[in-house]
Amino acid sequence: MSSTCYHCGQANPADTPFTITLLGETRELCCPGCEAVATAIKQNGLEDYYQFRTEKAAKGDEQILQTLDALSVYDEPALQEDFVYQTDNSKQIQLTVEGITCAACGWLIEKQLSRVAGINQVAVNIAERRALVSWNASTITLSQILKTLQKIGYRALPFQPDEHEKSFKAENNRFLKRLGLAGLMTMQVMMLMAALYFDWFGNIDQETKQYFYWVSLVLTTPVVFYSGSVFYIGALKALSVRSVNMDVPISIAVLATFFAGLKSTLLAEGEAYFESICMFIFLLLLSRFLEHRSRHRAATISANMQQFVPVTANILDDGDKPTQGLAKSLKAGQRVLVKSGETIPIDGTILEGSADIDESMLTGEFEPVHKQVGDQVFGGSVNRVGSIVIQVEKALKEALVNQIIRIQDAAMAVKPKAAQMADVFSQYFVVAVLLIALGSYLYWSVQGSEQAFWIAIAVLVATCPCALGLATPSALTCAMARLNKNGILLKRAEALEQVNEIDLIALDKTGTLTEGKFSLRHTWVSKGENTDQVLAIAATLESRSEHPLANAFAADNLLHLSDFKVVPGYGVSGHIAGADYKMGSVVFTAADSADFPAQANVFLSRNDSCIAAFEVTDKLKSNVIETLRLFDQQLIILSGDQQRQVEQVAQRVGITTYYGGHTPEQKYQLVQTFQQQGRKVMMLGDGINDTPVLASADVSVAVGNATDIAKSTADVILLKDKIDILPTLFNVSLQTKRIIRQNIMWAVGYNFCILPFAVGGLLSPWMAVIGMSLSSIIVVTNSTRILK
Amino acid sequence: MSIIYVLIPLAVLIIAIAIAVFFWAVKSKQFEDLDRQGYNILFDDDLSPEEKKLADERKRRNE
Repeated sequence: MSSTCYHCGQANPADTPFTITLLGETRELCCPGCEAVATAIKQNGLEDYYQFRTEKAAKGDEQILQTLDALSVYDEPALQEDFVYQTDNSKQIQLTVEGITCAACGWLIEKQLSRVAGINQVAVNIAERRALVSWNASTITLSQILKTLQKIGYRALPFQPDEHEKSFKAENNRFLKRLGLAGLMTMQVMMLMAALYFDWFGNIDQETKQYFYWVSLVLTTPVVFYSGSVFYIGALKALSVRSVNMDVPISIAVLATFFAGLKSTLLAEGEAYFESICMFIFLLLLSRFLEHRSRHRAATISANMQQFVPVTANILDDGDKPTQGLAKSLKAGQRVLVKSGETIPIDGTILEGSADIDESMLTGEFEPVHKQVGDQVFGGSVNRVGSIVIQVEKALKEALVNQIIRIQDAAMAVKPKAAQMADVFSQYFVVAVLLIALGSYLYWSVQGSEQAFWIAIAVLVATCPCALGLATPSALTCAMARLNKNGILLKRAEALEQVNEIDLIALDKTGTLTEGKFSLRHTWVSKGENTDQVLAIAATLESRSEHPLANAFAADNLLHLSDFKVVPGYGVSGHIAGADYKMGSVVFTAADSADFPAQANVFLSRNDSCIAAFEVTDKLKSNVIETLRLFDQQLIILSGDQQRQVEQVAQRVGITTYYGGHTPEQKYQLVQTFQQQGRKVMMLGDGINDTPVLASADVSVAVGNATDIAKSTADVILLKDKIDILPTLFNVSLQTKRIIRQNIMWAVGYNFCILPFAVGGLLSPWMAVIGMSLSSIIVVTNSTRILK
Repeated sequence: MSIIYVLIPLAVLIIAIAIAVFFWAVKSKQFEDLDRQGYNILFDDDLSPEEKKLADERKRRNE
């Protein structure tokens, strides 16, 4: 029987050894990471978390100890300057927290941190997935705080909101205030005017009526001049560049109605429609606010991706003495020492030494590249073996990784087409509305009607595309909330509409379909060899290797090894118990591949005769095959890994079209070719090498454990590292499209039907406003159906 | 009817106070995270240890 992990909800391995007693029952867990996290939560007496959470947690980090060590970097005072605010004796920082899935997480983090000595204040924001922490610098260090969070399963990183986001937030607060004021005032004015319209008091005398008008005037003034100011500013901006937008007729209608009302109140004659103004402004603001919020949310999510990931460098001075410094402060010409296992901080050329460098994050190729004096190395790649001194070529700003980010920025800038179309359409619409209103005013004036002015106003109000304005944002906001609940973050709301048109899904292999971790699938040994012994020899040889394949052989019973050598690109060799062993590719071990099945990809030889072969593969993620079957769209695999590896995975998941060995550039071009053939492409990926192609795809999806750069490019981010929630995205987007279409049809239909009545003078302004409100309410109610 | 000359200004005054409170709430970031605070009441962490034990017992008896 397969059970799921009590902590993170993923499938447990058969007979999982990881269990814990929580809330009075034994719970099974899937991995040591989840076990460590659950134990930490229990030990701290925070079991309540499991009782009240509404979503399963993020998966625990299996390499928890390594991760914890890496955090001490954040204690460097030079690093902290950038993102820590210092007050008298405490420091404050904003952290982005990965792994927040529901409100209980916020509680857990706050409780856990407030228990730690030295922490003054913690505030967790669930919606933004951030935490504000202030602490006493003399009792606790930043890395200790981050470690505490890591232990209960949340990965927190320092973060600095950019200017863009700050202004978004300020704008949000301004909207809230305007909306609140307009809402409260509308209720009051409505109450007074309803009394007049329906005359509940019985014969209202002129004096009382005048009194009501005055009170309404007082209440309406702040709404018109404070809440409504957004529209006048928008209209003025448009007019100053000799263009018109929706704000122009709105401003005319609001101001004209207000001043006409003011005049009738002062002169104590004629009519005033203060309640109509208030409600009009309130509803329009509401639709603007909804739209703003969905954009704000998207901006926050993408800003979280721009985490402050500091890279330190060992800078060599003139006397070859290394000093720690920040990678971003490096200048061209400086020399940097990169030891084995370290990340290369910056682009440069090798001055001394040689090394095997893992460039998989740039190229997707797992095989390390051997580099010597004079070769170029790139920032972000990892030095696997050997120690090198490099000369800095370009400042970090111009490094290759950053260039990839810039390519992607450029690719993203050309995207929105639908938005431009809507702008052009609305221009014509507005001109038409203004002309119709002017026409009706002139016609009725010539007819000698006293009502000409109010008829023109009614036309402006009735044709106001308020419901039309709400149609799309309200549906998108609901869809985003629904997707968020299912673990899908939508960064670009328009992507939801494009999802429907997708007819080709391109999948990256490593990290998307597979786990990116190698395991041993099959072992074949020659006659007369003992399998256990062969495995022990293999484990011994590979224990010294840094190659990603090596982990597949990990074992405890290691033998004595001497003369160990790594031959980059081929394999490893060594001397064990009086014999020479070689392990690696067919060529290297001089194996006759006919002796072993074709799937074998690693060979072991003793004194140059092959004694065993292994099949080492990357494990498929669970549910991948079932999920892929649900799609009608054509599926292809697009990978930077070797063609043979890609072929294997493709056969296992049943995909017939696959492209292996593609560089990021080639992937990008391939997708472009498809797009030129009129295909709409969705790309799923996780690595830095996928970023350009993610940016050029019509819709891009970053899978759970993706690199930060991939996440910042993608339109859609899956919170879990499995693709089985992807069908939900398609379902919700289809539903959203339907709802948007219904909304638009209703809104446009209403506007067109009401127009003849308004022009014909059958509609007074208050009726127009009520009609418009009802129409808006219908649209919003329709949108909320997506939430269910 | 003259009572409305007192009551309506009073209502306006109360509205003015309500708006002031609302503006203060927006300014002090009370609207930043609407998902989280609703759950606070579910967690028994403001109870003293003895009360918590009693609450647990009650829970067990109800089950």
